Amino acid sequence: MDRSDIKIPKDRFRPAVIDSSKSEEINKPSLNFWQDAWLRVRKNKGAIASMVIMLIVVLLAFIGPLISGKSFSEQTVSHNHLPPRVQGLENISWLPFDGTEVNRAGKEINVYEQKGIDEYYWFGTDALGRDIFTRVWKGTQISLLIAFLAATIDLIVGVSYGAISGYFGGRLDNIMQRITEVLIGIPTLVVVILMILVLDPGIISIAVALSVTGWVGMARVVRAQVLKVKEQEFVLASRTLGNSHKSIIYKHILPNLAGVIIINTMFSIPNAIFFEAFLSFIGLGLQDPQASLGTLVNEGFKVLRLHPHEMIVPAAVISILMITFNMLADGLRDALDPKMRD
Amino acid sequence: MGKYLAKRVLYMFITLFLIASLTFFLMKIIPGTPFASANKLSPQQVEIMKAKYGLDKPVPVQYVTYLGKLAKGDLGISFQFNNTPVTDLMIKRLGPSAQLGFQAVFFGTIVGLLLGVFAALRQNTWVDYGATFLAVLGKSIPNFVFAGLMQYYIGVKLGLLPVLFWKGFEYTIMPTIALSMFPIAIAARFMRTEMIEVLGTDYITLAKAKGASFFEIAFKHALRNALIPLITVLGPLTISLMTGSLVIEQIFAIPGLGEQFVKAVNVNDYPVIMGTTLLFAFLFVVVILIVDILYGIIDPRIRLSGGSK
Amino acid sequence: MKKSKLSLFLVLTLVFSLVLSACGGGKKESGSGSEGEGESSAKQEIKILDSSEIPTMDTSLAEGSTSFTYIANVGEGLYRLNKDHKPVPAMAEGKPKISEDKKVYTFKLRDAKWSNGDPVTADDFVYAWQRAIDPKTASPYGPYMMDGKIKGAKEITEAGAASKEYDLNTLGIKAIDDKTLEVTLEQPFVFWEDLFAFPTFYPINKKFVEEKGEKYASNAENLLYNGPFKLTKWEGTDATDWVLEKNENYWDAKNVKLEKISVNVVKDSNSAVNAFEAGETDMTGLLSSDIVPQYEGDDRMVSWLEPTVFWLKMNQQNEALKNVNIRKAIAQGFNKEDLAKSILNNGSIAANFMVPKDFVEFEGKDFREKHGDLIKYDPKAAKEAWEKGLKELGVDKLEIRYLGGDTEAAKKTDSYMKNQLEKNLPGLTVKLESVPFAVRLERDNSQNYDLQFAGWGPDYGNAISFTDLWLTGGGSNRMDYSNPKYDELIKKAQTDYATKPKENWEAQQEAERIMIQEDAGIAPVYQRGANILLNPNVKGLAIYNYGPDYAFQWVEVKGE
Repeated sequence: MDRSDIKIPKDRFRPAVIDSSKSEEINKPSLNFWQDAWLRVRKNKGAIASMVIMLIVVLLAFIGPLISGKSFSEQTVSHNHLPPRVQGLENISWLPFDGTEVNRAGKEINVYEQKGIDEYYWFGTDALGRDIFTRVWKGTQISLLIAFLAATIDLIVGVSYGAISGYFGGRLDNIMQRITEVLIGIPTLVVVILMILVLDPGIISIAVALSVTGWVGMARVVRAQVLKVKEQEFVLASRTLGNSHKSIIYKHILPNLAGVIIINTMFSIPNAIFFEAFLSFIGLGLQDPQASLGTLVNEGFKVLRLHPHEMIVPAAVISILMITFNMLADGLRDALDPKMRD
Repeated sequence: MGKYLAKRVLYMFITLFLIASLTFFLMKIIPGTPFASANKLSPQQVEIMKAKYGLDKPVPVQYVTYLGKLAKGDLGISFQFNNTPVTDLMIKRLGPSAQLGFQAVFFGTIVGLLLGVFAALRQNTWVDYGATFLAVLGKSIPNFVFAGLMQYYIGVKLGLLPVLFWKGFEYTIMPTIALSMFPIAIAARFMRTEMIEVLGTDYITLAKAKGASFFEIAFKHALRNALIPLITVLGPLTISLMTGSLVIEQIFAIPGLGEQFVKAVNVNDYPVIMGTTLLFAFLFVVVILIVDILYGIIDPRIRLSGGSK
Repeated sequence: MKKSKLSLFLVLTLVFSLVLSACGGGKKESGSGSEGEGESSAKQEIKILDSSEIPTMDTSLAEGSTSFTYIANVGEGLYRLNKDHKPVPAMAEGKPKISEDKKVYTFKLRDAKWSNGDPVTADDFVYAWQRAIDPKTASPYGPYMMDGKIKGAKEITEAGAASKEYDLNTLGIKAIDDKTLEVTLEQPFVFWEDLFAFPTFYPINKKFVEEKGEKYASNAENLLYNGPFKLTKWEGTDATDWVLEKNENYWDAKNVKLEKISVNVVKDSNSAVNAFEAGETDMTGLLSSDIVPQYEGDDRMVSWLEPTVFWLKMNQQNEALKNVNIRKAIAQGFNKEDLAKSILNNGSIAANFMVPKDFVEFEGKDFREKHGDLIKYDPKAAKEAWEKGLKELGVDKLEIRYLGGDTEAAKKTDSYMKNQLEKNLPGLTVKLESVPFAVRLERDNSQNYDLQFAGWGPDYGNAISFTDLWLTGGGSNRMDYSNPKYDELIKKAQTDYATKPKENWEAQQEAERIMIQEDAGIAPVYQRGANILLNPNVKGLAIYNYGPDYAFQWVEVKGE
C-alpha cells in the first residue's frame, strides 16, 4: 500500500510539551533488592524445585520424630536389624516397604513374621533395635544444626573481619591479610582433625572446628567486595556528610554485600554437612546415642551387604540435602551476583 | 617481580614458622599418651621412654630443640614406628598421594569442565539442571560410600578392575574416579559461572553476529577466556585432595600420606602429626605462590595494567 | 583454537584409556585365574592380608601383636609355641637342667645357624636380653617381661629411671660356653617355658647389630633370621607389603613346606573382604563384627574364642563406686547375653568371670570348670543391691562417667551398656565419653574415670597374667581395688606355690572368686570371638592366643 499521497493537515500536529518531571518517572514498579532477587530466582526452575524439596526435608526433620511415635534412643535389642515396613504399602510387593529382606542364601524372607513382630518400623531398625525413621530425622536435625552453626560463625567472623580489613585498609588491612594468609596455608582437614582432638567431640566443637578456617573464604570475598564498594560515589557522599564509620559500614556497604554473603553461606552449609559425615568415618563424630546423617551413613555402610536399608535411607537424605542446597545456591548466585544482571 | 617474589617467599616462611609453632603447642595440649603399651609400663619405664623422645624436658626447651632440628630439616623420629625418621616415612608416602591427587584433579576438571560448559550454554533449561545435578550428585554421596560401592560392584562383582592396592595404572582408576567427584563438582560450577559471564560479553555477541557456529563460540571464544580463572582454583585443590584422600587411601589400601596421618592422629604419634601438617602446609603455600605467579603470566589484563601504569 | 582442541583430545584419550584399561584389567583377572586352575599340584605360596604395618622387627623394641607375629615367624627363641599352642624346646636342645631351688636353668643350644651362616651362640642370647633391659634401648616390653622374673632386671630399670649407674652383667643370664646358657630367675614360676618362647627373649647377633649400627632392623637386608622364614622384601617399618620366604638355614627346614608368603596391608575390614572375594588373597586380617554374620556357616570363615576379656573397671576413687553394693548392682545390671549374641554377633560370649574360657587348663580341666559363672546378669538382684547402695550413700540418684573407645563397635557397645544400666538401675545417669585409645590409656594411668570399658589379653599362658592385675598398688590396677585376702592368695601363688601347680591353680581360682563374686571389683562383659576368612585349601595354620597371632611354618597348600 502506498500511503505517501495521503495528506495530513498541518493543524493536526501540535508541539510536544516537554515535562521534565515526567522524564524522571519510573515506569516499572520499584523493586527492592529482595523483590528483584525473587524475580530472577523464579526464572530458575531447578532452584525453585530444590527449594521446595529442601523445605519438605527440613520440615520432615522436625515433624518426623514426632509422628513416628518412637524414641530415637530407645533400644529393643530383639528387634534389631529389621527391614522397613509401612502400613498399607506392605502389600505392594515391588515397594521396599514389605518387611522382607534377602538373606545370605539369596532367599527373600519376611523378618517380621519370622521374629513375630507386630510393630511397624517405617525405615527399619539398626543394630541396637532403634527406629531408623526417627533416627534419620533426628540426625537430619543435628546435621542441619551443625551446618547452620558453622555457617553462622563463618558469617559473623568472616563478614566482620573482611569488612573491617577492607574498609579501613592501610596497615590494619595489611596485618589482617597476613593473618588470613597463614590460615589459608593450613589444610582445612588437618586443622579440623586437630581441633576435634583438643576439644571434646560434640555438636558445638564440630561446628567450631569447621569454622576455624572456614571463615577465611568469606572474609576474603567480603574484603574484595568492600574494596570495590567503598570507592563508589554514594559512600564518598555519605562520608562527606559526616556519617560515622559504623553507619557507613552498616547502612551503605553491607547491604551491597548481601549477594556474595548469601551465596557464600549457602555453599558453606552443604560443605559443613559433608565434612561432618567425613569426620564420622574417621571416628571423630558425635557421641552415641546422638546421631547425625554422617554417623548414620557410616554405621549403615558397615552392614550394607546384609541390611542395605540402614545406609540407603540416611545416604538418600544427605544426598537430597546436598543437591538441593547446591542447586539453590547456584540459582541464587545467578540471581544475586551483580555481574550477572542482564 | 623480583622484589615481589622475595616478599612472598618471606611471608611463606613466616607462615610455615607459625604453623610449626602452632602444631607444636597443639601437640602439648592434645590428650592421651603416645606409648602404645602404656597400660603395661611401670612408672620407671615411662620415665625412661620419655627421656628417649625428649619428652622429659620442660616445654620451652622442647620447643627450641624442635625448631633447631626443624631448621636442619630433621622432623624427629616416629613413636609408633620405632626409631624411623619422620622424613623417611613421609617421602615414601608422598608419591602415591601426589599421583592420586593429580590424576583426580585432571580427570575431574575435564569432566566438570564439560558439564559446566553445557550447563552454561543452555542456562536455565533441563540440560543445565541435569548437568548441575550430576556434578553435585557425585560430591553429595559421602565418598567412602561411593568408593565402597564401586569396589564391590566394579571390582568384586564384575571383576573389571583390581579391587585394591597400588601396583600399576589400572589400580589407580577406581580411586581416581572416587576422588574426582569433588573436583568435578567444583570445576563444573566454576565453569558454568565463568561461561555465563563470558557469554554475555560483547565479543561473543559479535562472534554470534558474524555467524560463528555453536561449537566455535563455545570452545574457541568462551572456554578459553573462562579457563583462566580456573587455574587459580586447581592448584590448591590438588593439595587439598592429597590431604582429603585419606578415606580413599584406606579403602583401596593405598600407601599414602593421608592414611598415615589418620593413624598417627589415633596413636598420638606427635612427630608424624607435626611433620605431615607441616608438609601439607608447605605444599599448600608453594602451590598458592606458583598459581599467583602463573596467573600474572597468563592473564593478559594483569600484565597490561602492570606495564602501562 | 589449538588449546581447545588439545583439551578435547585429552578428554577423549582419558576416556579411551579408561575403557581400554578396564577391559585389560578384566582379561588379566580371568587369565590368571585359569592359570591357577590348570596346575595340578598346588604352589606352596600364599597371599595374606594384615591390618597394620610392622611397627618394628627389632625384638627388643617390639610391643604389638603384628611385630610379634612376624618376628616369631622369622626368628626363634629357646622355646617356641608348637601347633597345639604348647611351648616346646626350639633353639634349646631339649629341656634345660634345673637347679634344686628351681631358680637356675642351664640350657644346651642346638646347632643352628643365622641366615648369613653364622652359628647361633649363647652370647647372642645374652646380648639380646641385656639389650632389651638396657634403659638406653627404652624397650617397652623388655622390662615388662623381665622385671621381677629375671634376676637383676628390676634393679637395672630402677637405676636407669633414676639416671644412676647400672651394670648389664648383673642380669641373670650368662654364657657358660658357646652352646651353654645359664639363666637365673628372681624367683621360681611355672610359666617359664612360655616366657622363653616370647619374641622379646629371642637371640640377636651382636656382631651384625654393631656392624649395621642405626640401620639395624630398618629393612629386610638389615636383619638376620634364625626362624623358619626370612624376610626377602620389607622396605621398612611403614612398608605396606612384604614377603617372607622359606629359610633354608633353619634347623627344621625340612618340615617347612611353605615357600613364600606375600603380605599386604589393608586396614579397612570391608576392603579386605572384597579382596578375598575377588580372589586376591588367601587370608584376611580379623574381621570387624559387622561382617561376621555375612559368613555365618561359610566354610571359608575360621572362628575361635580369643582369651581376651572385656570388662568395666570401676574406679574406687569415686565415692559411690567404693560401695560394694553399687559395684554389684552395676556388675549385674546389664544383659551380656544379648550383647554377645545379638549385637556383637561374632562368636563372642558373655563373660561372668575374669580369667577367660579355653585359655589355660590343669590336669585336663579348664580354669573355668570350678567356678563357671561368678557374676551374672540379674536385674532383680542388681536393683536390690542398687537401692541398698544408694541408701548407704544417702542419695537417690547418681551420675557416673563412662569412659569408652571411639571405634564404631565400641560406640555401639557403650551405647547399649548405658541404655541397659540406666534402665535397670533407676536413678542412674551414665555419661558416655568416647575417646581414642591413646587418651583412654592416659586417663587410665591418671585414674581420671569412673567406669572404664577396657579389655585385657594375656602375654603368656598362665592365669596369673589376669589374676595379678589387681594387686594392691599393682601397676595395672589403676582403680584402687584392694583386698588383703586377694593379695595374699596371689602373692602365695607367685612365691610359695610357684612350683606347686595344684596349689597355685587353686589359689588363683579362689582369688578370682573373691575379686569378682565377693567384691565385684570389675564388671566382666564379654570374651571376644575372633574371625578371619581363610582359603580352605590352606591347611595347618597355627593360631595363637598370646604373643604372635599366627605361625606359618606348618602351613601347606592343598590342590583343588
